[in-house]
Amino acid sequence: MNDEQPYAVIGDRGTMTVFEVYIKTTPERLWEAITSEEMRARYSFGVGTISDWTEGSEYSSAVPGVIKIASGENLEVDPPRRLVQSFNALWSDEVKSEGTSRVTWEIEPVGTSCRLRVTHDQLGEDANSELYGGWPMILSGLKTLLETGEDLDTPGSLRYAGA
Amino acid sequence: MDEVFKALADPTRRELLDRLFEQDGQTLTALEEGLPMSRFGVMKHLKVLEGAGLVTTQRRGREKLHFLNPIPIRLIHDRWVGKYAQPWASALSELKQDIENEED
Repeated sequence: MNDEQPYAVIGDRGTMTVFEVYIKTTPERLWEAITSEEMRARYSFGVGTISDWTEGSEYSSAVPGVIKIASGENLEVDPPRRLVQSFNALWSDEVKSEGTSRVTWEIEPVGTSCRLRVTHDQLGEDANSELYGGWPMILSGLKTLLETGEDLDTPGSLRYAGA
Repeated sequence: MDEVFKALADPTRRELLDRLFEQDGQTLTALEEGLPMSRFGVMKHLKVLEGAGLVTTQRRGREKLHFLNPIPIRLIHDRWVGKYAQPWASALSELKQDIENEED
């Protein structure tokens, strides 16, 4: 755990959010679902993420030709266990002004399942909730996709599907 | 899913979730403040919430911070409410397009 930036509670909310979900799958399949552009798009409102997934490389998330969502650097890449990325939101001027935060994906095998923990931290004071508000929808969609092979409709996915 | 409903079936545990919703990432000491029960009692309730996946913890130095994890509730929502969200969301995105087209 990287402790260089201590957690702080400021105002109503801290500078860190943590989400956790148990998924019946293998670490390898889960890693693939996180790093494959096509699979990622299926549970991220149509937003695919492109990268060569090496440490220090860049990634870019977008609905091609429609909207740029995020970009950043792959700070740590340790398949199929751990991925740390810097995160710059790009979908509006408001979120662009929030600057760079950090997203950590941690995969822990638990019996025949995996625990996926996503920590979005180094958020600014009183960060815009749009920055991290999508995670519950994305991660429940990821669970549904891996466990059933089906796409999950969420208000977010439907909004961009029509775009 | 049984564990989620059991965890939610207690007013103190819902109060703890409300407190985390209000301010995420709190210590046990902060959470027990003003609750009419012992530290041990609050700890037990937090354990149940953790067991149901509704609370996750993260260590920061000496402190153990508790976070509201909304995903189990999101999954319940997806199961029984998801299909109602669909027409609502499509109507909303059409409305958005209409408004944007009018502005052009």
